[in-house]
Amino acid sequence: MRNMEKYFDIAYIWNSLPVLLPFLKVTFMVAGLSIIFGTFLGLILAVMKLGKSKIAQKIANFYTTILRCTPSIVLLFLVYYGVPAIADNFGLYLHDLNTAVFVVITFTLQFAAIMSEVIRSAYESIEKGQFEAAVSVGLSPFQAYRRIIFPQALVVALPNFGNGLIALLQEGSLAYTIGLIDIVGKANLIIAANYNTHALEIFIALAIVYWVLSIIIEKFFGKLEKVFSKGKHTINTN
Amino acid sequence: MSEGLNYTFLIDTFFVALSGVPITLLVTIVALLIALPLGFLLALTRINQVPVLNWFSRIYVSFVRGTPIIIQIFIVYASVPLILSLFFERYNININVYDINPIWYAFIVFSFSTTAILIEVFRSALSTVNKGQLEAAQSVGLSNFQAYRRIIIPQALVVAMPNICTATVNLIKATSLGYAMSLQEITLKAKVAANVGYNYVEAYIDIFLVYIILCSLVEYGFKLYEKRLRRYKYVSA
Repeated sequence: MRNMEKYFDIAYIWNSLPVLLPFLKVTFMVAGLSIIFGTFLGLILAVMKLGKSKIAQKIANFYTTILRCTPSIVLLFLVYYGVPAIADNFGLYLHDLNTAVFVVITFTLQFAAIMSEVIRSAYESIEKGQFEAAVSVGLSPFQAYRRIIFPQALVVALPNFGNGLIALLQEGSLAYTIGLIDIVGKANLIIAANYNTHALEIFIALAIVYWVLSIIIEKFFGKLEKVFSKGKHTINTN
Repeated sequence: MSEGLNYTFLIDTFFVALSGVPITLLVTIVALLIALPLGFLLALTRINQVPVLNWFSRIYVSFVRGTPIIIQIFIVYASVPLILSLFFERYNININVYDINPIWYAFIVFSFSTTAILIEVFRSALSTVNKGQLEAAQSVGLSNFQAYRRIIIPQALVVAMPNICTATVNLIKATSLGYAMSLQEITLKAKVAANVGYNYVEAYIDIFLVYIILCSLVEYGFKLYEKRLRRYKYVSA
């Protein structure tokens, strides 16, 4: 057991937390921007999928399929090396851009694919009759969407949105591979500075941070769902 | 800087990336072979509220879903050799821990994470089967085991199939992180080839193409199998 003491020191887990936690700011910033842009792009894709144009449908579905088949790490590097290379052709020099920009582009593209499906399935779960009924009592189509369709679709979309958020947060942990100093990047720097000793403790600290974060997100969305689904009566599946 | 793509490299490296496919598939298949039965059994403990196991699988699922796979890989890759070297030292086994093929670590990590995903898949699939089905099966004299094998599982499987397909595709994608354990899979092979002349764009395009081909084939295969499973299912209009 002496070996174990030399290599593994539980106190190290606790002590590395104050050093790691400030770097969550970067993780959150990158995730937050990706969520905002990704939701917007996802909305456009969902409209394309639900619209009448066959070509738009094909394009949006093709996009989702491709993104679903691409590992995040591959997409990350494709964007990191590919975007500046493409920009070169237009005479733009983007090689010195902040790494965070490439990370945000990558996860925007990925989150958009998730969101387009979340929005589409939420919209399709609302019966057409709801819209017709709303219009028949004199609401304008915009009012019908805003007051009747949207609130109902939101309840359906919430759990999936929450899952997408957790997935995004976790895929975001790969951003260190292109040199982003987020919480994972910082952890790797600490380990390198320690000559690779106590790596395990720091990884465990990282795992705990992520675990706690996703439990918080999960609980938050569970509460939110309860608030928004007041007045809704469905089969209880718990 | 802009000389366009190096097409000869692009084509050559495509085959280099392709040569990583067997390792990727081997890890995927082994992980699934371990995770499918284990996930199913643990799902049963959740549904039947088996005292300790139920609680264990809840925490297990929460942990795996709550932590990035790359960190799970880091943890396994840092801790298993440590534990093994202690074990080897104590029993005087003369094996160098660093000679162990990284594929063993890959088997551990990916079956660990896939089991958790499949627990949830099976749990939701089993809960869609009406309880009356089990009672009916028992009332005609089938044992619990027979009822599950002949009545419940075939029905639950149809529901679970699309989710198992998603889990498989995600597993294949996740193996691309095997490079962190120096696993000789698609990404690592293409990356090593790119290191020579800094042809990273080309290498990543190749990896991208290989994954798209691989995933499309897997999705197509699952679709065929799903159709076969559905052959007795009649949906009333």
